[in-house]
Amino acid sequence: MAVDKVVEIPVSLEVPIGPQHPALHEPVMLKVYAEGEEVVKVEVNTGYNHRGVEKLTEKNSFYRNIFIVSRVCGICNIVHSDVYVRAVEQVMNIEPPRRAKYLRVLAMELERIHSHMIINAIMAEVLGYDTLFMYIMRDREKVMKAKEILTGNRVLGDYLMVGGVRRDLSEVDRERIKDVLVKLEPEVRKYVRVFEEDETIGKRLRGVGVVKPRDVTLHGLVGPTARGSGINIDARREGYDAYNEVPFNIIVRGDMDSWSRMMVRWHETIESINMCKYVLENLPSDGPAVPDETKLSRKFPVGEAFARVEAPRGELTYYVMSDGRQNPFRVKIRTPSFNNIINSGFSYIGYTIADVPVILTSYDPCISCMERAIVTDLRRGERKYIRFKDLSMGLK
Amino acid sequence: MEALSELLKEYALTTYSMKPNRLVIEIPRERVKDALKAIKEKYGDTGIYVSTIVGTDFPDKKQVRLDYYLVTHPDDNVYVLRTWLPREDPRVDSILDLFPGALSGECETHDLLGVVFEGNPFIKRGFFVPTDITSKGVFPLRKDSGV
Repeated sequence: MAVDKVVEIPVSLEVPIGPQHPALHEPVMLKVYAEGEEVVKVEVNTGYNHRGVEKLTEKNSFYRNIFIVSRVCGICNIVHSDVYVRAVEQVMNIEPPRRAKYLRVLAMELERIHSHMIINAIMAEVLGYDTLFMYIMRDREKVMKAKEILTGNRVLGDYLMVGGVRRDLSEVDRERIKDVLVKLEPEVRKYVRVFEEDETIGKRLRGVGVVKPRDVTLHGLVGPTARGSGINIDARREGYDAYNEVPFNIIVRGDMDSWSRMMVRWHETIESINMCKYVLENLPSDGPAVPDETKLSRKFPVGEAFARVEAPRGELTYYVMSDGRQNPFRVKIRTPSFNNIINSGFSYIGYTIADVPVILTSYDPCISCMERAIVTDLRRGERKYIRFKDLSMGLK
Repeated sequence: MEALSELLKEYALTTYSMKPNRLVIEIPRERVKDALKAIKEKYGDTGIYVSTIVGTDFPDKKQVRLDYYLVTHPDDNVYVLRTWLPREDPRVDSILDLFPGALSGECETHDLLGVVFEGNPFIKRGFFVPTDITSKGVFPLRKDSGV
């Protein structure tokens, strides 16, 4: 029989990673299309954890919403309540005392330390270093203890309130937190050395998931992901709360790869430890950090505010609008993972399937934060691949 | 801050500020894309990014308000481009070709509020709103959706 047709089949496999997968800790699905081992396309599918928080805030009062928004994310709950509370304070024209602002910074920086430690621990686990994961998590627990001393809770602090914070810090507790930080710092420096010098970690992370500075701004990537690619954006530069008084350095690295992003987080951890120490040593006593709740206004003026905070994962924004009633007219939450995960589908292309969890982890995904869309991020000018499934339907 | 209001002078209907210190520039909907194009030409690829897109429903005014929040790099200034769309026909040009980072915001605003971003091939219902809501043909963040 004469051959009249030659079919060239590009071998393209569809590999679903998630929403339940050993390499992932949260419900997200990466639909990876691979030619052999090489990734040619990634679709990011989310929506497995949608809770309709924005709608919920419209149905609850301004004060009750403080507790709702802090439940958007388990890890970075204090930054959520901080940015919401600041937006409400701006609508209500309230200025908290400096002592409360310093305590807010302390709570948020403790949160940044444990958030950066958990994602570095997860990265160690993804790379196969389970023991390193255990060690980092053991030391992270010390920070959780410090957070408990400050806020009363290990995880969900519920620390913020309009006009200040919910608990003041005693002299004894101040020393206890300082003691935790002093013990933590050498441990963190040890892990920085491990990530810098270990050959296997270097081989798995360096040169993997390169994001060019141009792609960072075009795709709206924020936080350590942007700073790991040399883009110096940090919402703390606005000087909200006490960030205009507490000295700190913005860590920027130019390697642009997964390793660069993890190292930005490690060095930010050290920077945050120093900031916490500064706050503990220079805590002002200008007024009561805890306002009298009974005297808070129950009337809300008409107005709107757009507040930003530098969450551990990047810029987190809240838009709050009041039409003069007890409930907000509109609350819009834009979390860093919403940009970093949905818009980063392009960055997996050209790497291997084994690199996909590494690259995803390097963006520090927080799915409960994102909790939004099933989004397809397609490569522009994409080639058409015939899948085996389509092939079985017969050639035309 | 003055530089951008000067740049958008020919597009702006009105200019005012939002707390805390955000410059808001209102633009007619048919000129949104032109204005963003002018901004991108001035700031370049790495000089500015779209932080978020906020849509708000105003049933009394029979309008939907659309805000584009832009952040400059490296000085971290926030600008707001605001436009109003008729509630019955909320159409606006997509800015995906200028700022690919607007993908998540445009898709979300379409699914929640029904704003149609013309030229964005990825917008669709059910992007994250569950099918029991989409099958009713309502947009959850519209005030009269009943969700």
